[in-house]
Amino acid sequence: MRIVVGIKWVPNTQAVRFDPKTGTLIRTGVPAIVNPHDLPAAELALRLRDEYGGEVIVLTMAPPPAVQGLEHILGMGADKAVLLTDRAFAGADTLATSYVIAEGIRKIEREIGKVDLAVFGQETIDSSTAHIGAQVASWLGWPYIYYVKNAKMVNGALRVERQLENAVETFDVGLPAVVSVAMKALKARPVRLSHKLRVKLEKPIIVWSNKDLGLDPRCVGLKGSPTIVSKVTYLPEVPRRKIVYKPKDPRDAARWILAQLFQDEKTREALHKALWG
Amino acid sequence: MPKVDCGKLCPEWPCEQPDEFKNVWVITEASEEGVSEASLQMLTPALEIAGKLGSKVVGVLIGYNVERHAETLIRHGADEVIVVDSEDLKEYYPEVYGQVVVDLARKYKPEVILIAATMRGREMGPYIANTLRAGITADCTDFDVDEKTRDVLLIRPPFAAIMLAYIKTPFRRPQIGTARPNVFPVPPADDTRKGEIIRETVQVRKTRTRLVSRTILKREEIPIEKAEIIVSGGKGLGGPEGFKLLEELASILGGVVAGSRKAVDAGWISHERQVGQTGKSVKPILYIAVGISGAAQHMIGVREATRIVAINIDPEAPIFNQADYGVIGDYKEIVESLIEELKKLKEAGPEAVDELIKEYTIQEAAVQQG
Repeated sequence: MRIVVGIKWVPNTQAVRFDPKTGTLIRTGVPAIVNPHDLPAAELALRLRDEYGGEVIVLTMAPPPAVQGLEHILGMGADKAVLLTDRAFAGADTLATSYVIAEGIRKIEREIGKVDLAVFGQETIDSSTAHIGAQVASWLGWPYIYYVKNAKMVNGALRVERQLENAVETFDVGLPAVVSVAMKALKARPVRLSHKLRVKLEKPIIVWSNKDLGLDPRCVGLKGSPTIVSKVTYLPEVPRRKIVYKPKDPRDAARWILAQLFQDEKTREALHKALWG
Repeated sequence: MPKVDCGKLCPEWPCEQPDEFKNVWVITEASEEGVSEASLQMLTPALEIAGKLGSKVVGVLIGYNVERHAETLIRHGADEVIVVDSEDLKEYYPEVYGQVVVDLARKYKPEVILIAATMRGREMGPYIANTLRAGITADCTDFDVDEKTRDVLLIRPPFAAIMLAYIKTPFRRPQIGTARPNVFPVPPADDTRKGEIIRETVQVRKTRTRLVSRTILKREEIPIEKAEIIVSGGKGLGGPEGFKLLEELASILGGVVAGSRKAVDAGWISHERQVGQTGKSVKPILYIAVGISGAAQHMIGVREATRIVAINIDPEAPIFNQADYGVIGDYKEIVESLIEELKKLKEAGPEAVDELIKEYTIQEAAVQQG
């Protein structure tokens, strides 16, 4: 099977610091990484290829430095990589991004061969929208499923297991399809030196600009994005009530806590539900 | 002059003017048992937005044997309910349900669509928006309306709520957002409210996906990032047996246990249940922090908890400055008493709550007077 894995090259948000004086995020000097939630997606794709044969193509829409991210996934063992890069793609929201990714997958189908599965991470650490999987499925007209924890082929369909808030579900998904892999679902394999050497020798990274994709400039980047960020504000500290009580004895402590929670309109209902349904 | 210049628009998008669209829709999740709590909560922002726009709130009810729940939506504030009830909609598949909403939206042209950001809502929402070639904003915690332009500001907190982004889609309609469960209350029910129920039949799309099985999770298996009540332990527990006590408290509250990095590193609780910068961010209604000092790396993971209770023996612990309700004392005794008091309350019934509240409001009044 031919599997495309989409990744995003993101600022490492754990290294983003908050400047309490100006009330803004300090992003300068923050290293970029492969979105950590994309690594389980790459791992699932590689496991499926290892089990059933075929190839894994890693794909991203990004400025050229994201090649490092593609090399990371190639280092894990992906076969090929595609970088979709063009100044015209800048400023894209998730609709415009998913359009370019879907068109990248269509071009892979035209030039390399039929794609059976597109795999994405559940969400990114820098924006957490969880949009791209569903949007790519919408552009391609493929079925899709989110929050996948593992997958295998059963009678020609992809059998996936996923977990919702309160249930575990198993689906058989007819291919081609899109799946998004749950956060921390699988431990990603390490990058291997032999794979890195192959990348150096064979340079299996294809670069496509918008000229190659042939997309109308009105459909990509900022112009192809219906959403606009009109304003950003910062909340350095969460307002809390900070009521501290020195109890007479443990029973007093317990009753005081419960009295507060039952008087508080934010928690009252949840407690009622827990105790009396 | 029309607001949208069709010549400038991506030809993949239908060219429509914002003033062709009207009403605020809430896409609801419903089963034979009823409409989900998270969906009913969406009526609160929908009523507020509709009030500012001077438009109606329309509930959209999709499924099999769900029609009778239309009245529930009307009682809680919907002016109209569009019902699509079909045996073909017995099982939920994102692109199947999504396509039903897309077809209805093409017919009725809603100005705003709200969807609860449950796991299914987050799965289906972007499919609906994309197929309509409209914008979508995920996990909103607030909304506002620019009454002059009729643009809805969809407000969301990326970066663990350190920042708030205000998103709008001035040239596209519908304006679509998913909104966090348990941020908005369910509007009070009014049994005298009347509303129109519109039955629609839609060609249900066939899918290549098939549900093989569904198993309901046990309470203790619910992942911490989805839990509404969390009892969390830190170094102050002193050992793994402390978590047995916390589990007992979580059990009676219908919640789950979690831990700080120190508790995880000590091997007292599994890595999947770690809260904080190197663990998970959680968004419960109630977070009970037991023996947790309140280091910044831990507190970043609980920024979006609605209320925090802290139990700690050290009156100087920084957690007391970052919690809503704190008690100073030995955690073991206090948690044991909490379990006992909760059991007594459960037994005595909801009426016993009044007495408890009275006891403490009188005491507080006395303290204030004294």
